[in-house]
Amino acid sequence: MTTAAPEAPSTAPVTEPAFPVLPVIPGEHPREAPRLAPLEVIPGKALYKQILPGIVQAPLDLLLAAGRKSSLWPMTFGLACCAIEMIATYMSHYDLDRFGIVPWPSPRQSDVMIVAGTVTKKMAPAVKLLYDQMPNPKWVISMGACATNGGPYTRYDRVLQGVDKIIPVDVYVPGCPPRPEALLDSLLALQELVMEERGSTGR
Amino acid sequence: MTTQDLTGTIWSDVDRALSGVTVRAERGLLDLIVYIPRDEVVRALRALKRDAGVSFDYLRSLTAVDNEDEGIDIVYHLYSTAKKYNLTVKTTLPNDDLTVDTATAVWRGANWLERETAEMFGVRFRGHPDPRTLLMPEDMDDTFPLRKSHPLAEIEVLQGEGMGYTEEDR
Amino acid sequence: MVASPQHEFETQDLLINVGPQHPSTHGVFRMVLTIDGEVVKDVVPYIGYLHRGAEKLCETMDFRQGSGFMDRTEYLAAHNAELSYVMAVEALAGLEVPERAQWIRMILCELNRLSSHFMFLGAFGIDVGVFGTPFIYAWREREAIIDLFEEISGDRMMYAYFRPGGLAWDVPLNFKERVREVLKSTRQGIKDFDELLTQNEIFRARTEGVGTISAEDAIDWGMSGPSIRASGVPLDVRREEPYLKYADVDWDVITGENGDVFDRYYCRLLEMRESVKIIEQCLERLESGIIVPDKMPRMLRAAPGEVYIRTEAPRGEYGIYMVSKGGNRPYRLKVRSACLSNLQALRQMSVDQYVADAILVLGSIDIVLSEVDR
Repeated sequence: MTTAAPEAPSTAPVTEPAFPVLPVIPGEHPREAPRLAPLEVIPGKALYKQILPGIVQAPLDLLLAAGRKSSLWPMTFGLACCAIEMIATYMSHYDLDRFGIVPWPSPRQSDVMIVAGTVTKKMAPAVKLLYDQMPNPKWVISMGACATNGGPYTRYDRVLQGVDKIIPVDVYVPGCPPRPEALLDSLLALQELVMEERGSTGR
Repeated sequence: MTTQDLTGTIWSDVDRALSGVTVRAERGLLDLIVYIPRDEVVRALRALKRDAGVSFDYLRSLTAVDNEDEGIDIVYHLYSTAKKYNLTVKTTLPNDDLTVDTATAVWRGANWLERETAEMFGVRFRGHPDPRTLLMPEDMDDTFPLRKSHPLAEIEVLQGEGMGYTEEDR
Repeated sequence: MVASPQHEFETQDLLINVGPQHPSTHGVFRMVLTIDGEVVKDVVPYIGYLHRGAEKLCETMDFRQGSGFMDRTEYLAAHNAELSYVMAVEALAGLEVPERAQWIRMILCELNRLSSHFMFLGAFGIDVGVFGTPFIYAWREREAIIDLFEEISGDRMMYAYFRPGGLAWDVPLNFKERVREVLKSTRQGIKDFDELLTQNEIFRARTEGVGTISAEDAIDWGMSGPSIRASGVPLDVRREEPYLKYADVDWDVITGENGDVFDRYYCRLLEMRESVKIIEQCLERLESGIIVPDKMPRMLRAAPGEVYIRTEAPRGEYGIYMVSKGGNRPYRLKVRSACLSNLQALRQMSVDQYVADAILVLGSIDIVLSEVDR
């Protein structure tokens, strides 16, 4: 506990101030009010924990990843029957809004593309264009058997046998159509995936 | 003209409407089927629509069936809203000359049905106002999927191999 | 300020591409609008983005496997789609369906009509601009009906429950009570929609007089279902050529007057009430019995021949034209889809309307793209 300032006059009666006074650093304004001295600095312990307890220290990439996973906005890309089960998952019975998942029609502002339904060769250029229009970081969920590998229509030559022939897919959901719980499970798995790869840049 | 017993069907009215057209009738499972040669079929359809006794004003369906060596049959299903009659009209196209006149002049609803039949079977409808592809991708209109000679697709490589994108896209 | 001379404003028509990914096209449908200001001058629809070849693939399938493909053709009204197919197979194979199976088929088809019309009401509400509320109401009612379907057939959407000859298995023991429960909530749901939309001033101002089509034009285009009944033509397959037991129950055919968007909406709403009436009458007359014929063959073979069976799906006349040359698979299967024929009239109905009204017209035809493209 340091006491009086060095330039205290020796002739005047020395009254100990009620609070510790920091030395005035030359260059500062002379009439600046004295500031509170910091608490006792114990080397080895973080400073901010003494001043403002209750702060959580976290690595930045963890915070970013937690933020990204908690508000994944899928682009509404329902192509066929799986779209109906996707809509059922958004609606109030199997609510997705409680996970922060809000369907968003524009590709420029969405994070996830849920390819729900059969991708035909006529539709494939549009799928690739929409995928390219999404900004990074982006993920793709391939919902249903048709988007995974062509599904029941795989033997027809106008059908693309799986959407992963044109865009990279992160989560595959089996089913024809998958139950809303299955789609919910896949979105939670995608959230885990987002947390796992939080250190990777360039995504 | 008729080899079967067609009492109880609408054959008498249809025969009267189609006077002047060579026609062969047959009793189908549920309704009457008439076979008309290719060159007279649109004239017959127009007569069937205009005739007041049958007045087939509703075209239910227009499609084709591929009988491999005998040619391609074009099938029209007609319905009369006033008289509640059903009729099936069939015409056969030989394999070396797959053209027939269009029926869009008779019913406007034949427009898209003919476009679809044309691209699925390779049939050309003469006089069609808009002969583009309907369901096929624009660059894949040289093969005709619903013909019997068209094969099913092979299942391509399993996932994970030969992906269409490069690793930098990830 | 220099006074500028009077310029003659030149206008050019603008080409706007709507789709194939668009929140209001109800699926992968693309149309190119040519607009002059806000007025639509021309509509060119492009379809085929969901063409999956159900007809070709069914030629390689056994008769019993085809039900699964027909489900996926019209996924919102799968029971109605399966019904046409199994009726065609039964006609060709000469099977006779027992009474109990017919009554149950009728109940399930009408319930499916209800759930499909609820989806229409929800999606149409979004098109009109009532964003959110009708859609969530619709799905609340749909979940009730779909839970019942799941108890019966095991799947929420692709049932494969109608088999040639009858049904796959019998319904649960508490079927009648469950259906009555579902009907109670459905009646309330229809009432909710009626109060929310029908008397709404803005809704009526947006939908009345928009997208009209006359009766002669509708017949010429080959339209069917509520879209043609709204123009005043009383064309309902259940009344003209009754199948199942529709001739034995008491119900009305709903027709409209003007053929505009409001009439198409209101016809569907009133049709839902008729469906509830039909289901109640069927429940009273449902008795116990067998559900497949006694002499059901193991290998189902059909006689050579052809047949065209049509039934009334929620969107119109869903027809199956099946040609068989003997054997256990169809030689040619053609699906006559109601939505394709209804969609041909889109151009006539939306020319000279505003862009927003063109979207309304598309919504009121109630298309399901997998039926248009098959």
